[in-house]
Amino acid sequence: MELDRFFNVSQSLLRDKFVLGYSGHVSEDILQEVGNKLRERLENHACNSAQSRNVFSIFVELMQNIIRYGVDGPKIGPKFEPDFDPIPDPKGDRRDGKNPLFEDVPPFGIIMVSESDGMMSVIAGNYIATDEGETHMLADKVAMLQSKTPQDLREMYRAQLRNTPDKKSKGASLGLIEIARKSTLPIACEMTPMPDGLTFFTIKATV
Amino acid sequence: MTGLKLEATKRTPAIDLDTTRGRLVLMGESYPEDVAGFYAPLTSALNTYLENGANALATEIKLTYFNSSSARALRDLLEQLDSAAARGTAISVDWFCDPDDDITQEFAKDIAADISHANVSIQDLDAT
Repeated sequence: MELDRFFNVSQSLLRDKFVLGYSGHVSEDILQEVGNKLRERLENHACNSAQSRNVFSIFVELMQNIIRYGVDGPKIGPKFEPDFDPIPDPKGDRRDGKNPLFEDVPPFGIIMVSESDGMMSVIAGNYIATDEGETHMLADKVAMLQSKTPQDLREMYRAQLRNTPDKKSKGASLGLIEIARKSTLPIACEMTPMPDGLTFFTIKATV
Repeated sequence: MTGLKLEATKRTPAIDLDTTRGRLVLMGESYPEDVAGFYAPLTSALNTYLENGANALATEIKLTYFNSSSARALRDLLEQLDSAAARGTAISVDWFCDPDDDITQEFAKDIAADISHANVSIQDLDAT
């Protein structure tokens, strides 16, 4: 990256008080390490323990979403190799097998926590395999959550907890509801179509 | 009859199932990498205990943070305890929540409302 582009990136990051950012392959180990650092930083940045707790909780759910649903990004060159071993997936249930190119590479993700006027936002971005049906379903789900009151969200969470998670959701689909419950403002998301059968998914929660 | 004792880690709670005293304590944080794998030994040890003529179990839940996958595991745990209570085991659950953590308190209340035989009581974490 050229210095002038780097300067532009840093200026846009510094406009808000930058708490923490991570960009790279995402695994449970990374979640753990970055999560520990986030907790330390929150001690200095968060207004109170409730805000700190909710930011951390949203961070965990977003990172686990990337691990469960994300794929690696576009290949940047023939020399490219992941910076650690692929996540073992003996049962093959972490991947849906739709995009064999990305089979053995951990998902790529970017996550940023920043502070502005006493509010903290957690924004995550990751590639997902483009699948018209599923991509729309995810966007619709976020849109549906935006209009819910805290009481609605509590009831949805409770109802979802009683359901057995369907196999397709690869784990509790409670995660998004959890994020919405712990956000002060409605959550927002965007889907940007990318080359190579990929979509870049971004999601923002504010506490 | 064997109990179960697990030390807490950064991502998993301490678990102490003391079958001689009829006591189960979960304490710490819960966001394991593999939730099902982490809670399976507890489900199995509890099953052994409850299916072999246990007459009582006093449970204390003192979790300061748990993720959504752990929430499901907690729901399953409470259901397991409730089934034993339905068969006549005296089950009590004291659920300790941070008094300013509304969402966790609501979660505990909602779970308690779905439990019909075990006696669930929600208390302030600071009180202990």
